[in-house]
Amino acid sequence: MMGERSLVSVVDDDESVRESLPDLLRQFGFAVEAFSSAEAFLASDIVSETGCLLLDIAMPGMSGPDLQQELTRRRQKIPIVFITAHGDSTARPRLLARGAVACLFKPFSEADLLDAVGAALLSRTLGP
Amino acid sequence: MTDSLEARSYAPIESSIPVGAVPLETIMCTEELHRRPSRPPGHEEENRALVKLVSALADSPSTIFQTLAETILHITQCDSAGLSLLTTDGQTPDVCGKRFYWPAIAGMWNTHVGGGTPRNFGPCGDVLDQNRTLLFKHFERRYPYLLPVVPAAEECLLVPFYVAGKAVGTIWAIMHSDRHKFDVEDDRVMGSLGKFASSAYQALASIDELRFQIGEREKAEAAVHKLADGLEVQVRVRTRELERSTAELLATNKELEKEIAKRRRAEDRFRRSEALLAEAQRLSATGSFSWRVATDEITWSEQLYRIYELEIGVQVTLELIRTRVHPEDLSLLEKMVEQARTGMTDFEWQYRLLMPDRSIKYMHTVAHATRDLDGQLEYIAAVQDVTARRMSEEALAKSRSDLAKVARVMSLGVLTASIAHEVNQPLSGIITNAGTCLRMLDANPPNLEGARETARRTIRDGNRASDVITRLRALFSTEEFTLELLDLNEATREVIALSLSDLERNRVVLQSKLAEDLPTITADRIQLQQVILNLLRNASDAMVDVDDRPRRLLIRTEREDGDRVRVSVRDVGVGVDPQNVNKLLDAFYTTKSDGMGIGLSVSRSIIERHHGRLWAEPNDGPGATFSFSIPSSQERVTDTAL
Repeated sequence: MMGERSLVSVVDDDESVRESLPDLLRQFGFAVEAFSSAEAFLASDIVSETGCLLLDIAMPGMSGPDLQQELTRRRQKIPIVFITAHGDSTARPRLLARGAVACLFKPFSEADLLDAVGAALLSRTLGP
Repeated sequence: MTDSLEARSYAPIESSIPVGAVPLETIMCTEELHRRPSRPPGHEEENRALVKLVSALADSPSTIFQTLAETILHITQCDSAGLSLLTTDGQTPDVCGKRFYWPAIAGMWNTHVGGGTPRNFGPCGDVLDQNRTLLFKHFERRYPYLLPVVPAAEECLLVPFYVAGKAVGTIWAIMHSDRHKFDVEDDRVMGSLGKFASSAYQALASIDELRFQIGEREKAEAAVHKLADGLEVQVRVRTRELERSTAELLATNKELEKEIAKRRRAEDRFRRSEALLAEAQRLSATGSFSWRVATDEITWSEQLYRIYELEIGVQVTLELIRTRVHPEDLSLLEKMVEQARTGMTDFEWQYRLLMPDRSIKYMHTVAHATRDLDGQLEYIAAVQDVTARRMSEEALAKSRSDLAKVARVMSLGVLTASIAHEVNQPLSGIITNAGTCLRMLDANPPNLEGARETARRTIRDGNRASDVITRLRALFSTEEFTLELLDLNEATREVIALSLSDLERNRVVLQSKLAEDLPTITADRIQLQQVILNLLRNASDAMVDVDDRPRRLLIRTEREDGDRVRVSVRDVGVGVDPQNVNKLLDAFYTTKSDGMGIGLSVSRSIIERHHGRLWAEPNDGPGATFSFSIPSSQERVTDTAL
């Protein structure tokens, strides 16, 4: 068990991701909330309850990395797993350096997804 | 030196006749010459003098006028002798043709060297006006400015001389006392010396001219030597002639001098044109040759030796040429030679030289067939070393193909990234949904309703991926960039017609303002229409969520300055964030969940391929305007086409 903080939030402007990813995660027993934009997530009341944030990189308005910075500024230490449809691996080291737990390239496997979410929740539990 | 002050001051140039000056007739006594007793003709002395003058001209041209003055002094036994030259340049003195100046004086007037007289009011001018030898007596009576020039001239014998039929000066002899009076023999000898003065004058003029050319001086002096030799020969000839008849001699002499002058001019022209030709050949890396076919006598220009890297002057033979021609081009050479031998045809051929250092030179020969003076076939040809041009052409071709390759690779890179993005989105959905579906089926009890839903989503995402591929294929079905003349308004109307049903379904009110003064443009019709279609879809999509106002869409075409045309599409949708405008057009960016993110970036690359520009800007009111502008003609577009 991952403790009381096992809420996974998905932020992606792609509707099919918002449909499919929460369903799959729920199959594994996670509580999941999906948002279509970074702004919508920040405006919600579950920011502090989120144990893992699955975050799209390219979105209209505030981008994934923008949200990451904003959360850092707000001192909200939420483990982030980036997901992106761009196979550009050069962005990964930069994102990881800023504190992201993992960066998944679409399409990703179930195993990769579970590994990343598990690592994120674990880092939250073990974190300072 | 107050004595010649007036004469040297050169002013006033146009001296007016002073009040009280005596008339010209009073100072002239030319006719007396023939009434005076005369010495017998001194031909031998005259010839010796001429020979001496000629060698003096060769040895020391710069002092020839002084030598001439001294010769006059000696031969006429006078007191002063000299030359007056009509000014020819802006230097000495400063007005051309308006004064005579005295470059050389021998005898008592020697100190007046450099002085002179006005052209239109003086003894020399009178001589030129009357175009004959004149004898003056105390000319200072009429020309008071000569008063300070002392001692005064009792008598002055003035003889004009000519260059190319134009009087350029006089030679003169002066007696300051009446111990000796000039006679017809003086007149005759002076006439002869006048002709020499003319030759010397021309020789000096050409030397002066030649001095302007560095390195030409020696040649000029050689030419003068040659002239001297020629003159010597002619003087010998003349001696014999003289003995026959003075009149005949004078005629022959004139002829000979004319011929000398002509020959020297011709030599000068030849040397000049030869120098010019050599320079032109060097500059243009072009050599020339002549080839007398019957004798195989080949003459090369210096530049051709340089091109072939052979010692200048080496005898040129076909065998020698064969040693330089590239082995692969030898058979071509034989063929050309054979063909050239058979008949009078101009020919042109390109071949290579293989130099001793293994480098290759590219040659281009153009030969013209002609007949020499003996009626024999002769080719005159120009050979140009086109190696540099060939190299730069090759380099250009290579850089062009490199450029095209880079452009292709870059476009493919952008394209690949866009395709990956478009396809990865639905693929991700498929995998996730399929995984969820399996989990739901494996659950106990199985969640059949959930599984059905996720399976449906899987199919939907599969179709979506397939759609992406189809649309990509449609977008790039015209791989070739096909330029055609087209009416932009007509092309726009076609796109509008295609989109109308879509637009109506989305409740978009379309308005078009198509400019009537648009020029016909050159563009790829399909690609340009693809861009317009993308802009319409983009505008329509941007207004999907607009419910509080009419979804107006305005498409317009305009003529722009600089021979360009513009198409703009204005919507009242969500608008664009000025900060995101550039991102919007980036292939890696998409704002739409179901749109083709690739649309705008591909549109932009199409427009850029037309040397145009695609941009977006927020409206004053709601919405944004997407526009592109392209030049109406596309001459260079093919260079960068995919």
